[in-house]
Amino acid sequence: MSDDASASVLAARSLTLGYGSDPVVHGVDLEIGAGEFTVVVGPNGCGKSTLLKAFGRVNRPMSGQVMLHGRDLRTRRTKAVARELALLPQSPVVPEGVTVRSLVERGRFAHHTLLRQWSPDDERAIGEALDLTGTTDLAEVPVASLSGGQRQRAWVAMVLAQDTGVLLLDEPTTYLDIAHQYDLLQLFARLHRGGRTVVAVLHDLAQAARFATRLVMMDGGRVVADGTPQEVVTSELVGDVFGLACDVVPDPRTGTPLVIPHEEPVAG
Amino acid sequence: MATQTTEPASPARSTRPGGVRVALMFGLGTAALAAAVLLSLVMGARVTPPGEVIGALTGAGDEFTATVVESRYPRTVLGIMAGAALALAGTLMQGITRNPLADPGLLGVNAGAAAAVVTVTAVVGPTSVTGTVWAALPGAVLAGAAAYIVGTRGGEGGMVRLILAGAVISAVLNAYVQAVALSMPDSFDSYRYWVVGSLAGRGFDVFWAALPVILAGLLIALCVMGGLNGLALGRDAAVSLGVSTVWVQGGGLVAATLLAAGATAAVGPIAFVGLAVPHIVRAMVGVDFRLQVPFALVVGPTLLLVADVVGRTLLRPTELMVGVVTAFVGAPVLLYAIRRMRSTA
Amino acid sequence: MSRQSTLPSRSRSAPPAPETEHRPPRGVMVLRLGRALALPIRRRSLVVGVLIAVVVLVCAAATLTLGNLGVPLSQLPSVLTGGGEATDRFVLSRLRGPRLIVAVGVGAALGIAGALFQSVTRNPLGSPDVIGLAAGAGSGAAVAALLLPGVLPVPVGALLGAGLAIGLVALSTGTGLRHPGRLIVAGIGVAAMAQAFTHFVVAVLARDEATSLATYLNGSLTARDWEHAAVIWGALALSLPVLVYLAGPIRLGEMGDEISETLGVPAKSTRTAAILMSVVLSAAAVSVAGPIAFVALTAPQIARRLSGAGGPSLVLSAAVGALLLVCADLVVQQVPVGEGLPVGIVTMGLGGIYLGHLLIREWRKGSL
Repeated sequence: MSDDASASVLAARSLTLGYGSDPVVHGVDLEIGAGEFTVVVGPNGCGKSTLLKAFGRVNRPMSGQVMLHGRDLRTRRTKAVARELALLPQSPVVPEGVTVRSLVERGRFAHHTLLRQWSPDDERAIGEALDLTGTTDLAEVPVASLSGGQRQRAWVAMVLAQDTGVLLLDEPTTYLDIAHQYDLLQLFARLHRGGRTVVAVLHDLAQAARFATRLVMMDGGRVVADGTPQEVVTSELVGDVFGLACDVVPDPRTGTPLVIPHEEPVAG
Repeated sequence: MATQTTEPASPARSTRPGGVRVALMFGLGTAALAAAVLLSLVMGARVTPPGEVIGALTGAGDEFTATVVESRYPRTVLGIMAGAALALAGTLMQGITRNPLADPGLLGVNAGAAAAVVTVTAVVGPTSVTGTVWAALPGAVLAGAAAYIVGTRGGEGGMVRLILAGAVISAVLNAYVQAVALSMPDSFDSYRYWVVGSLAGRGFDVFWAALPVILAGLLIALCVMGGLNGLALGRDAAVSLGVSTVWVQGGGLVAATLLAAGATAAVGPIAFVGLAVPHIVRAMVGVDFRLQVPFALVVGPTLLLVADVVGRTLLRPTELMVGVVTAFVGAPVLLYAIRRMRSTA
Repeated sequence: MSRQSTLPSRSRSAPPAPETEHRPPRGVMVLRLGRALALPIRRRSLVVGVLIAVVVLVCAAATLTLGNLGVPLSQLPSVLTGGGEATDRFVLSRLRGPRLIVAVGVGAALGIAGALFQSVTRNPLGSPDVIGLAAGAGSGAAVAALLLPGVLPVPVGALLGAGLAIGLVALSTGTGLRHPGRLIVAGIGVAAMAQAFTHFVVAVLARDEATSLATYLNGSLTARDWEHAAVIWGALALSLPVLVYLAGPIRLGEMGDEISETLGVPAKSTRTAAILMSVVLSAAAVSVAGPIAFVALTAPQIARRLSGAGGPSLVLSAAVGALLLVCADLVVQQVPVGEGLPVGIVTMGLGGIYLGHLLIREWRKGSL
């Protein structure tokens, strides 16, 4: 495999996505390189979650392709894809009576065969996932009885147990208090440093700018900006895309851009 | 302006058609009902020309025609009553449970009536159709009341309990009905003739027996229909709007039970009128219950009478029971409507 | 809730204890056969399964030995191995033996059908009857009884009716069997038509014919022979490979399409396959025993509670279904009040009790 192909883990090729007959994402081209922590931002309804789900092959493209390691997702068995790529969707359904451990075990499905449904790898991956997310002590507790923050960690643990090189996260911090939000984002940052490719959809521009190595800003189903946080989070772009008049100042601790809205929230 | 502010959150506001259109549609509906009534008097084993029917009605026709037409009075009157009662009961049930598939049978009314019918026949032997009505009426009311009491025991229960209670009572009573019917031939006969649902072979005594129950239900329904608009937004929103949810839900369910019990006792269980009419009415006038109720009272009888006329004429001289006709007309409409459902998972 | 208690600090947490590695978690055993086979089996499920099997065997022995024609218990082993008296051998091979085997098979098929259907529709009160299968079978039986008496056997009519009803439902959804919400609405419509038709036929038939039809419509195991047993067990055997394949995917499917797709399960085709298998097994059960109420609904729920694993268990559902039906049939055969009644009436009563239990649970929930 050439350097070029291996560098691009996920790629959208003139990807058009939608529900029914109305396109939500229009002909997007986007390459996600290996080892990047990409965060997709944009106003509500801009198509960022739809794009992420297409990367996770939950949405079928209306036209165009999604490539994983240079091969069209649709041509591959979903189980094979699941060994390379994991998606954490928004508000998944918690089955009744399932414990955290049993939930995390379900993450191993793609590594099983009909006859071989248990291996030392399973135990290692599950143990690591529980440990990394700090849910080891909760392993025997039913997921339904957990608090919001604990439950989100259990879901993250399930996705980690899947043991994939690529993690797709759809607004993983929604409904969490600010401490839990940063805790989770730091976990993702550590996973990224450990070699995983991470693509996340986030609402908070400050968080996005702080943790991402690359920011993609979408508006109206198209990519309008793509680059480092410093390049993308500018007062012009935020004013154009979000309709929010603001100043952008460096974060006093990290130097990453911070958005300070003006008193009058009017822009063009 | 005052009325605007008293019900600011009525979901009907945006979809409610203009007053003129509503009045026009109501006029059309009433005309359709009148036509259905006339049709019900005209059609039968022998078709009586409309002119002769009107002559008989005004006392100008010959005696034979008068007798024939008079023989069609009871089933016509019963059709109006049962159609209106079932339609209104369905409207109430769907409004209260906020489940568009709810129908009046949900509370075990049908099973209660059936259980009473087989029990009475088993104890006192074969009875006339009128006899089964006198049994079915208290049976249906009692089963509905039992479901209601069990389902709402311990205060704020929500709809899950109520529907479960109806299902429990239906299951137990149905097992009983089948056991009795299959061991006692007379009970089996009265059950199988009753359960198919028919307007035929019933006299005015059946009408008079069921009328008080249905009128009581109607009265309560008229009292609660305004509150149903608030309830449509959910319990919490309704409470914050000042709707007495206990009274509206409780009263509405009692009304639905009485209406369904009266209709089912009189003519047997009839499928789809209670389920379908609310949908037709919503398509006509939107979701405001203060409009849905009067329209249901017109559309329900029209539908049932037309179905009865079709049943009388389709296989002449054999008569198809109205319960069979409503099912075979209602179901295809439902199946067609599914294709319009949003394709969400 | 304080942050410290919910999130034990990872920086302080020790690395995973080495002795727990390579070992399955508590309460799970792994069935191994060389390197090729390694299946985790929960200890509790195994114990429950064995217990149910024992109870089924006890009920089966009771079915064979009780009553006037019963084979004496002491004779049972020798009769089973082909010895004993001629009457006893007749009772075993012609009367009670096939009936028992049919009851076990039908109960198991209904239990599996219900487990599949409830799992993919995520509706604890679901079964293929919700989408019109039983009503369709009833009307098929009614056609056979009314229009073609003697030409079309009633069970074949029931099978055709069930097939027609499900076909109609699948056609009218516009999305085949893929979309549970639409299936259920279409099922209401088709079931209403089928039931109205059946009621009509029962009303116009002569009393004797109507009675025998009504008995069939309740679901009965009277006078079943080895042919019936072959049909239901054949259907079970044929569906086994698909069921083994589906067991894992349907468990993940309960978490929603997005999660199950991302874990590697093709969600839509899994659902279609599960509903299809559910329909096939129920149809086989209907054709040999008529529409038996509530077993498909209750067995998976009871199995779920017994296993405590928070997921569907096809094996336990089958076992519970078999147990329910064998017990119900024992009641019909031996309890004086129930004698001669179709077994479906007893299961309907059992269903009522089960729903009552759910209701009491709702009460408790409300009062806590």
